[in-house]
Amino acid sequence: METIVSNKLQQFVVGLDPTQLPVPHTLQLMAQNHLLAKDFPTTKSERFKYTRLAKLANAQMSNSLLLEKGQLSQHKILTDAYTVYINNKQIILPTDLPSGLQIKLNTEDPDAFHEASFYDVFGALNILYAQNGISIRVANNCTLDKPIQIVQVNSGGKYFYRHHFNFGENAEAAVYIVTKSTIDSNSFAHTHFQYDIAQSARIKVYKIQDCCAGHFDFHEDRAIQNATSHFEINTLTLDGSFVRNDTMVAVKGEHAQTYLNGAYWLKEEQHVANYTTIDHQVAHCESFETYKGVAADRSTAVFNGKVFVRKDAQKTNAYQSNSNVLLSDNASVNSKPELEIYADDVKCSHGSTTGQLDENALFYLRARGLSAATAKTLLLQAFMEDVLTYVKQDEALAYVHQRIADRFSWKY
Amino acid sequence: MIKIENLHASINGKEILKGLDLEVKAGEVHAIMGPNGAGKSTLAAVLAGREDYEITAGSVTFLGKDLLDLPTEDRAREGLFLAFQYPVEIPGVSNVNFLRTALNEKRAYHNQEPISAKDFMALVREKSALVELDAKLASRAVNEGFSGGEKKRNEIFQMAMLDPKLAVLDETDSGLDIDALRIVSQGVNALKSPENASIVITHYQRLLDYIIPDVVHVLYDGKIVKSGPKELALELEERGYDWIKESL
Ligand SMILES: Nc1ncnc2c1ncn2[C@@H]1O[C@H](COP(=O)(O)OP(=O)(O)OP(=O)(O)O)[C@@H](O)[C@H]1O
Ligand SMILES: [Mg+2]
Repeated sequence: METIVSNKLQQFVVGLDPTQLPVPHTLQLMAQNHLLAKDFPTTKSERFKYTRLAKLANAQMSNSLLLEKGQLSQHKILTDAYTVYINNKQIILPTDLPSGLQIKLNTEDPDAFHEASFYDVFGALNILYAQNGISIRVANNCTLDKPIQIVQVNSGGKYFYRHHFNFGENAEAAVYIVTKSTIDSNSFAHTHFQYDIAQSARIKVYKIQDCCAGHFDFHEDRAIQNATSHFEINTLTLDGSFVRNDTMVAVKGEHAQTYLNGAYWLKEEQHVANYTTIDHQVAHCESFETYKGVAADRSTAVFNGKVFVRKDAQKTNAYQSNSNVLLSDNASVNSKPELEIYADDVKCSHGSTTGQLDENALFYLRARGLSAATAKTLLLQAFMEDVLTYVKQDEALAYVHQRIADRFSWKY
Repeated sequence: MIKIENLHASINGKEILKGLDLEVKAGEVHAIMGPNGAGKSTLAAVLAGREDYEITAGSVTFLGKDLLDLPTEDRAREGLFLAFQYPVEIPGVSNVNFLRTALNEKRAYHNQEPISAKDFMALVREKSALVELDAKLASRAVNEGFSGGEKKRNEIFQMAMLDPKLAVLDETDSGLDIDALRIVSQGVNALKSPENASIVITHYQRLLDYIIPDVVHVLYDGKIVKSGPKELALELEERGYDWIKESL
């Protein structure tokens, strides 16, 4: 299919092959229409107000290196999991899957493709240029004995991926999505995740984003939740100079519970943006959203949390909070809650704070003999810890603690 | 132990301490009384090194060192302890973890080895028993959700753990019921020795039935305006502060 785009966008897609995946035709048309006469978004556009894309437009990606399985497996975090490795064009699938779990290339499961909303040019480009991806199905009533782990290692080049998850009725699973990159590589990856969650399924997704400075990491999550399901996405951004997460959950069945949690530890020139949307379409559902971050040096964080409560979504209980601690005068956070409520019998709350550490607490700790640095560290760790309590897996938590210790010299 | 001379301190351009003199020797207990707003907590905060205050004149010598020259943490490590009038709640920071860190940073400052986990836990048990602080409170987040009285007990527990040379207790008795008052006083008395000293800030002579002061001072309008034996506290309790103001 021929796509007409202009200027920087046109340059950006040079060398990319149009997708061969069975993406629905109507979706491809929508993507093409979206891109008509579009260029790279500027800070004038609402969703990129605080994100400068010039850096991406001008970036020269390094040649994409194909890594061997031995090299890839060094990047895994969990030793005991059903692990998929993704590196450039190659996907290595696990063998010996238990009954009830299916992991295939997405081309081998074309039924998993369906229409999904996208909000920006990158979402549209993914539809038109996605190279590959996987399809994971967990059968009805299946409780996985081990987590699924997807390890994506970026080592140069530009890639679009599309992954599909289908969780059957009453299924239970934990999914770890680990994005890493080789040292000093310049690369771009935009990954679309689609989660179809059937009735009563209980699904926890943990994203551990730990890329190098030259990598641009874009994630687009689209979830559909059915009745009485429990769905959780915990996004932990440990490193990476340019990270953008665009998460949307459509709650379509009653008595569903949604948890979106995020944590980011930023320094130097890092830019991390979390855009979230929870769309409450039906009654009696609950959502809890907690994003927390610390920003040092010249780093910038963006949080944009949309919550829709539609007319029929009576008795919705939606809670959202975003709190940040700035560790330098040059760091900045732009935090924007957006609640659109069309039902009248609902409980919704939101709060957003950005500030410095509590001076009284710092003084109290120092007055007991703690150095200013130790006191600060203790307070920052305490501030971030409640998001980490969602990570119940020891290896994952140890990894996260280790990386924070490496980068910020916090002691755990 | 400590010698304060002609201390002037102000905050936001407003002078609070206006030439304060006070000397406390090792082994002594001094009580400071005085009307609300006189500057008692300001004195405590200035001694502990709160940076919001500007010291415009005067000097403080603590164990031969220029106290005002030291950062807050070094004052603590040298042996100064301030029990806060309003202890701060610090969610997420565990009481014992932070005390262990405090103890070890103090030991490192004095070139001592860190305390072993076993010895530390033994110390926690001994000192929490001293002030009858529930072991559960000792391991909870610092002061979070503690009652007023529990916060004060926790201050004395921390004091016992850190074993200071000079303790400044800022209204540790307020908010305590009769039993707690006795327990906290016992805690303070148990730590009394010829090598250390305390400054007890209070509004009530009742406390001084338990902690017998060597000297009672009246702090009024930023200065020590009267000092006397422990009977002075009784007289203040009966007559209030007006007669002192009038005699100035
Ligand atoms: N940030 C500030 N700006 C201006 N004035 C202040 C500030 N902090 C304290 N003060 C003033 O300093 C004076 C002394 O306060 P301080 O807390 O030392 O009194 P105190 O003797 O401890 O009183 P109390 O018996 O009520 O505890 C008060 O008049 C108070 O209002
Ligand atoms: Mg006071």
